[in-house]
Amino acid sequence: MFNFKRPRHKLSKAIEGDLRLSDLKPGERGRIREIGGSDQFRQRLIEMGLTRDAEISVDKYAPLRDPLELIIRGYHLSLRGIDAQKISVERIN
Amino acid sequence: MSFNIAIAGNPNCGKTTIFNGLTGARQHVGNWPGVTVERKSGHFTYSDHRFEVIDLPGTYSLSAFSAEETISRQYLLDEGPDIVVNIIDASNLERNLFLTTQLIELGRPLVIVLNMMDMAVEKGLKIDMETLATLLGAPVVPVIGRTGEGLEVLREKILRVATSISLKSRPIDILYPRDLEAEIQKVNALVEQSSLTGRQVRWTSVKLLESDVETRNEVRAVDGGKEILDQANESISRIERLFKDTGRAVISHARYGFIQGAIRECVVENLSDALDHSRQIDRVLTNRWLGLPIFGLFMWLMFKITYDVGSIPMDWINSALLGLMNVISNVLPDSMIASLLVDGIMGGVGAIAVFLPNIFILFFIIAMLEDTGYMARVAFIMDRIMHNIGLHGKAFIPMIMGFGCNVPAIMGTRILESRRDRILTVLINPFMSCSARLPVYVLVAGAFFPENAATVIFSMYVLGVVAAIASGKLFSKTILRGMSKPFVLELPPYQRPTLRSLSLHTWERGYIFIQKMGTVILVGSIIIWVLGYFPKDVTLERDYATEQINISAQFGQELQELTLKFEKSIAKDSSVYRSEMQSYTASSGYRMLHNQYQELKTNLLASEQTQLYILKQQEIRDITEQKWIGKVGKIFEPIVRPLGFSWRESVALITGFVAKEIVVSTYGVLFGVGENVDEANHGVISGLRSSGMTPRVALSFLVFTLLYTPCLATVAAIKRETGTWAYTLFSIAYSLGLAYTLAFCVTFFGGMFNWLS
Repeated sequence: MFNFKRPRHKLSKAIEGDLRLSDLKPGERGRIREIGGSDQFRQRLIEMGLTRDAEISVDKYAPLRDPLELIIRGYHLSLRGIDAQKISVERIN
Repeated sequence: MSFNIAIAGNPNCGKTTIFNGLTGARQHVGNWPGVTVERKSGHFTYSDHRFEVIDLPGTYSLSAFSAEETISRQYLLDEGPDIVVNIIDASNLERNLFLTTQLIELGRPLVIVLNMMDMAVEKGLKIDMETLATLLGAPVVPVIGRTGEGLEVLREKILRVATSISLKSRPIDILYPRDLEAEIQKVNALVEQSSLTGRQVRWTSVKLLESDVETRNEVRAVDGGKEILDQANESISRIERLFKDTGRAVISHARYGFIQGAIRECVVENLSDALDHSRQIDRVLTNRWLGLPIFGLFMWLMFKITYDVGSIPMDWINSALLGLMNVISNVLPDSMIASLLVDGIMGGVGAIAVFLPNIFILFFIIAMLEDTGYMARVAFIMDRIMHNIGLHGKAFIPMIMGFGCNVPAIMGTRILESRRDRILTVLINPFMSCSARLPVYVLVAGAFFPENAATVIFSMYVLGVVAAIASGKLFSKTILRGMSKPFVLELPPYQRPTLRSLSLHTWERGYIFIQKMGTVILVGSIIIWVLGYFPKDVTLERDYATEQINISAQFGQELQELTLKFEKSIAKDSSVYRSEMQSYTASSGYRMLHNQYQELKTNLLASEQTQLYILKQQEIRDITEQKWIGKVGKIFEPIVRPLGFSWRESVALITGFVAKEIVVSTYGVLFGVGENVDEANHGVISGLRSSGMTPRVALSFLVFTLLYTPCLATVAAIKRETGTWAYTLFSIAYSLGLAYTLAFCVTFFGGMFNWLS
């Protein structure tokens, strides 16, 4: 679908061992460090306001434990656990 | 003068409410060319100027990731509306302004509307409108769309911007970090020199640095395009080196940087007494324990209301149709035209028209779920389950609705944003066993599995769900692979819906149903009618007219004999009757004889009626066999023979293509027991039993009925929602193939084990 060459950066991949958004418990807050995954996925999330250093909190999990409900920039957003795993965060206490 | 206005904004920002507020009922809903994204346009007149308004699809950005984004972009770039009205949810400024930063770059005159001001105030936000207007380089109008407050000011503002276009009020540039801006300028310089000058120069430069495919293709095509692209590539690598990220991500981050700066300057947050009502409501509605049961209750209510309340006007339509049919039959003599009108058109179209109340009620409820914001929660609650089939959580709604009727269910797939999800849901929806299939199950299961009818019927429903899930998995791994979008879903604040917008939504969708289904069903019914009507004259081996006379004569004679016998007995009896107390006719002996006579007479007349009726139906069957439809049935007989089906099943299945209920009435005709199946069900049952069909073949027939294309209206809906004949024909072929394969398995493997023979 996208025929242009993908940029050669490697930074979009979150580093192994980082704390992930999916590791936060309901009610916990974090600051976004990096978003991994495909270019399109990253771009989508950045456009929705999930920029580096933005504050994000996990509000709750769905009744069947997936997806998650997040609060970012004052609005509520839902992501699947598998996607939340691609976002590395820093816990804010 | 006349001006073109485009309304742009995020999903859930109340765009449609403002559009409705501006245009009122003067609007038209269609589709954007080539895609099933709704295209709404309308107009209004203000101080002698006419304003044509187009409601662009709600998008978070203009990056052309989705059909909605592409449409909005193309419209804004190619059609060049005179004014762009950007609707912003004031209670969610930051994210809404992201789109605004892109709209500003487009360079068209912009009017910014801060909608849902009441909610923003409730949330404790104080917005300095004038500063915001200066920062964004466009007038800002606060509005409460739901009540219409501020709409008059908006019209005034639009007019002022429209009439002062000549003043060339050039919008401001979004300021990017210095290093980024330097690269933009480099590309800008080249773009300005090229033949692209007519276009939005800065937009083009920024999009090039975002590696935007469409802009690149566009630039490649012009003179000097190659140099521009070379410069863009060079700038992108420099940006990547400097910022350690893609050009796109860097620019998006910079946009949010600009927004944060703007908000710092003109918004005072006083969140201490802010109340998040939606969060309170969600404590219950998406609660870990209560969420699912409450959702189940809502679904049950939706079903209940749609079919129960809908059945009342359904009866009215039914009797109105019957009345009309009678009138036509009486006015027009027994002619081809009358048959076409009554049996063909009214029978076929009428069968669909009775579903209108259900469909309108269903659309009303769906509009309510959407307008309140609950639909997003449905996706949230059900995503885990639907994800298994490779679908979005929202796809659950149309699947459940398929149990009622596949047509509104397929039209309901519009609630899904991604085209791929829509197509997948449309393709598997027909396997959800709709209510029209139930009469067939009841009839056939009743005939062959009287002990286990309920189990057989229930297993048909289960098989349908299994077929849907399996096909969904199959499609998402084959023909619809890779097009899946990540699940990024906003859970918007709950809103109180307005009756006006609910009825508008309902009417828009319902109207499409009337329009499109009407035409397809009309054609389909006429085709089936032609097949059943021609050739007009058929030669029958038996002389039914004479046989009818013979039967009547025979019974007439028998009746005469009976009466004679009765009179003789009376004469004999009365001659020996001796009583002073009462006359003979009052005696118990006479009464006994008389009753006996009456009983025999009634029986005689009844069996005459039955014989005539059977004869009549045999005639219909013989005629049907000779009509084209019978011939078609015979042609297809060899194909369905491996399934154990006779030409009767073949005809029944063909007519069932128009609508599944027809299978039952076709059987009624073919077994010569009349179309009124409720009264003659026993006839069909005994007919089926004596037709040589085994329970195994009956089960196979049920499987086939469940799985093949439900009806013409569904085909029309599939065509409408997928937008292509390719998927429509694929759906028909796939379901026929699956139906044939599974029915064959039942007949064949059942036969191997001599099961149910």
